[in-house]
Amino acid sequence: MARRSASLIEDLIRVVGRDAVYDSPGDLLVYEYDGSVDGAVDTASPAAVVLPRTTEQVAAVVRLASTHNLPVVARGAGTGLSGGAVAQRGGIIIALTRMDRILEIDYADRTALVEPGVINLELSEATLPGGAFFAPDPSSQKACTIGGNVAENSGGPHCLKYGVTTNHVLGLEVVLPSGEVVWTGGRAEGGAGYDLTAALVGSEGMLGIVTKALVRLTPAPEAILVMLAAFGDIDAASHAVTAIIRAGIVPAALEMMDNLTIQAVEPAYHAGYPLDAGAVLLIEMDGLSEDVTETGAEIELICRQHGARSIRAATELVERELLWKGRKMALAAMGRLSPNYYLHDTVVPRSKLPATLRHVGEVARDHNLRIANVFHAGDGNLHPLMLFDRRRAGDVERVLEASHALLHYCVEIGGALSGEHGIGTEKRDYLTWVYSADDLAAMAGVKNSFDPAGCFNPEKLFPRGYMCGEVRALRAQAMAQKHGIYAL
Amino acid sequence: MRSEAGIAIASPAGADHPLTIDGVGGFRVEHPSAGPEVAEILADSAARGLAVAPVGGGTTLGLGNLPERLDCVVSTARLNGVLAYEPADLTLSVGAGAYFSDVQSLLSEHGQELPLDVAIPEKATIGGLIATGLAGPRRLGSGTLRDLLIGIAVAHPSGTVTKAGGMVVKNVTGFDLPRLYHGSMGTLGIIVSANFKILPAARFESSVLATFPTLDGALEAAMKVRASRLQPLALEVTGEGANGPWLVAVRLAGREQSVNLLAAEARTFLGGDAETRSGVKSQAWWKDYTRKQAVDHGATDVLLRCTSRPSATATMTHMAMTTIAQHGELIRCYVSPGLGAVLIRVDLGISGGVEVLASLRDDLLCRADRVTVLAAPSPWKNGLDVWGPPPPGFDVMQSLKEDFDPHRVLNPGRFAGFL
Repeated sequence: MARRSASLIEDLIRVVGRDAVYDSPGDLLVYEYDGSVDGAVDTASPAAVVLPRTTEQVAAVVRLASTHNLPVVARGAGTGLSGGAVAQRGGIIIALTRMDRILEIDYADRTALVEPGVINLELSEATLPGGAFFAPDPSSQKACTIGGNVAENSGGPHCLKYGVTTNHVLGLEVVLPSGEVVWTGGRAEGGAGYDLTAALVGSEGMLGIVTKALVRLTPAPEAILVMLAAFGDIDAASHAVTAIIRAGIVPAALEMMDNLTIQAVEPAYHAGYPLDAGAVLLIEMDGLSEDVTETGAEIELICRQHGARSIRAATELVERELLWKGRKMALAAMGRLSPNYYLHDTVVPRSKLPATLRHVGEVARDHNLRIANVFHAGDGNLHPLMLFDRRRAGDVERVLEASHALLHYCVEIGGALSGEHGIGTEKRDYLTWVYSADDLAAMAGVKNSFDPAGCFNPEKLFPRGYMCGEVRALRAQAMAQKHGIYAL
Repeated sequence: MRSEAGIAIASPAGADHPLTIDGVGGFRVEHPSAGPEVAEILADSAARGLAVAPVGGGTTLGLGNLPERLDCVVSTARLNGVLAYEPADLTLSVGAGAYFSDVQSLLSEHGQELPLDVAIPEKATIGGLIATGLAGPRRLGSGTLRDLLIGIAVAHPSGTVTKAGGMVVKNVTGFDLPRLYHGSMGTLGIIVSANFKILPAARFESSVLATFPTLDGALEAAMKVRASRLQPLALEVTGEGANGPWLVAVRLAGREQSVNLLAAEARTFLGGDAETRSGVKSQAWWKDYTRKQAVDHGATDVLLRCTSRPSATATMTHMAMTTIAQHGELIRCYVSPGLGAVLIRVDLGISGGVEVLASLRDDLLCRADRVTVLAAPSPWKNGLDVWGPPPPGFDVMQSLKEDFDPHRVLNPGRFAGFL
């Protein structure tokens, strides 16, 4: 564990000022964890937390960390679910929350230049009066920051139609592990050389710290229609989902919630979700008024063909927001069902959705757990929500076993380990399920190119022990032997 | 054996055909049939200090700087199979050597498509399209392959084939290597296969075309379209010679009724003489238009691309026209006001050469954010970095190149900064 020297705090204060350095145990406690589940991800204490206000300060802290031989962990709002903002090896947490200015909104080019601490929803709220919005809308958007969205390549319900964060980042100002400040990408297309912006988005804070983001804004649609379709069971609803996708319809969002979820959200928000429904689909269409009406009719037909019992539609803002409330605030309502939950994130091909959801049910029964489903059905991005009580003996173990089984199933049928939450610490040891040693070596090559000293967010992404000195030396040796005939 | 300066199209596996890259020919051409074979060839080349150029359909062989050295060509022609296609999943996995038009034909049978404008679709391969990152006018509405890539398999000079991503449309499992390989010009590895998310084919399309006597008039009309609610699939202004006429083309896609409505609106922006083409006639027009943007050149002409922020397109175009007139003669110009891009074919005449080309490029750089020389007679590229000044973060790029290709096997010197 990297310990701090007496001069570290003094040095940090000199760079960012006293009010931007936290070093007392009480203050540091809050930064020991993020949104990840304690037990699935271990908490850890940083040596210090700094809250810079400028790019120069971030760069100076990075250089200082290097001088003190300490790792650096960037942090946004700390809503991440895979442990990305937890300082597993101590060191300095750089919290970007005070860099929260929207620097520029350009409606002609539909771009916005923002600091990393800008809250996702607040960006869209600022641009909507001008007829544009920032499309990636993770469920945590009231709290999460753009910097965090970049680090995790965040998605959200609307990425079905609009894509994920990487489709909306035009350029980044980053502080590299060397302390150098670099702009990747830009306002004009056709940048020369390797797409460093692409490498940085979704890099989980391991390659650079974002100090400015130039993002694409999306024109606000002319019309929006939200539909709530209720089905007798999950199976019928999931078949409706695959049918909608197969019909060549691309809704703006296509979400599913099962009965267990409805039991939590309906009493909480009274959005009108039928309490006796096996599952509901929340479907949003947007575009030209005529298109929205026509597509809505097509979707309604498909839903009815797959057994929808009732279908409600809303076009007015207040009604639409109420229907969405049940989905967006689902996690907040889970406390009604259980004191603890573990929100999973996995993706499967859409044609495998019905089978996967059946399997989730089996895992729940086999492990004697309640698992709620509230997720982005349209792109096969599941979020099984395992309910448990930490105080009850054996609950945590059962949840971890069930998690392992569930993830394994999803990977086996051609899915991915993570759709939006990232790998972090949470799933690092599963990486070998999907990537070979050679595949990991290519990723290590990218890491080494940006961060040869390995000081940005260590102990994330790569399997335990993969990046540590001895292992690297062994690998280097193996590589040299393999290519011995032309060893330098 | 050296050939004359020029581009030759590589033939399918097995046929004898002269293959030249920037005027150099006489290569041994390998035709591996699987990823591990590709990797073996690369590892062998590394051991022997040889340089390799990956070649797909050979439609953009002239793109990039003069090769530092080149000994062997690896053709991806035999890596052309469809590995997995599940229409219900809207995902596709295909070999790098597959021709784009073949892929589109397969997808269209199921009412789906890989939305991309390609200059020579019957010869351009998937691998080449990813590696060059080139995309035609409909990138305005559909994006590029960068937006559609969900997985990739690449052969390396270390002798390995690695994969990244997967077969699902959302994936945050490790660094985004598929997008890093996109546009990397075959300098980090040879793409063996790629996975894409595919889209339902547009149900209907219409294009509205109108001619204007002045560039100003054309750009003004186009910018009105851009600022409207139309959100066209493509928006282009094109003309031959500085004195016009200038054509504005608006491509609209979606449901038939909506498209007809939007086309009527487009006609109000473009004026009473506007012509409308629909369905296959619209598709054919854009196919023909994109073909003209093929990355090739004549004896004394060059193809350049200037880009800036989209709202500065008109200014950039006017300044580019003036600059070009000082150095040579405009052959044809293709302006994308929605994208901030201008593609220009210029004749620099027999007195053209490295200095003239460099001088033109540098002057244009004062008037545009980025200038790339996409195609030029090979002798004119001597000592020139066609990609422009070394990009920011070049140190990191060099580290990446050193890590992925320490012996500089793959296309040495051809990419930005002579990577």
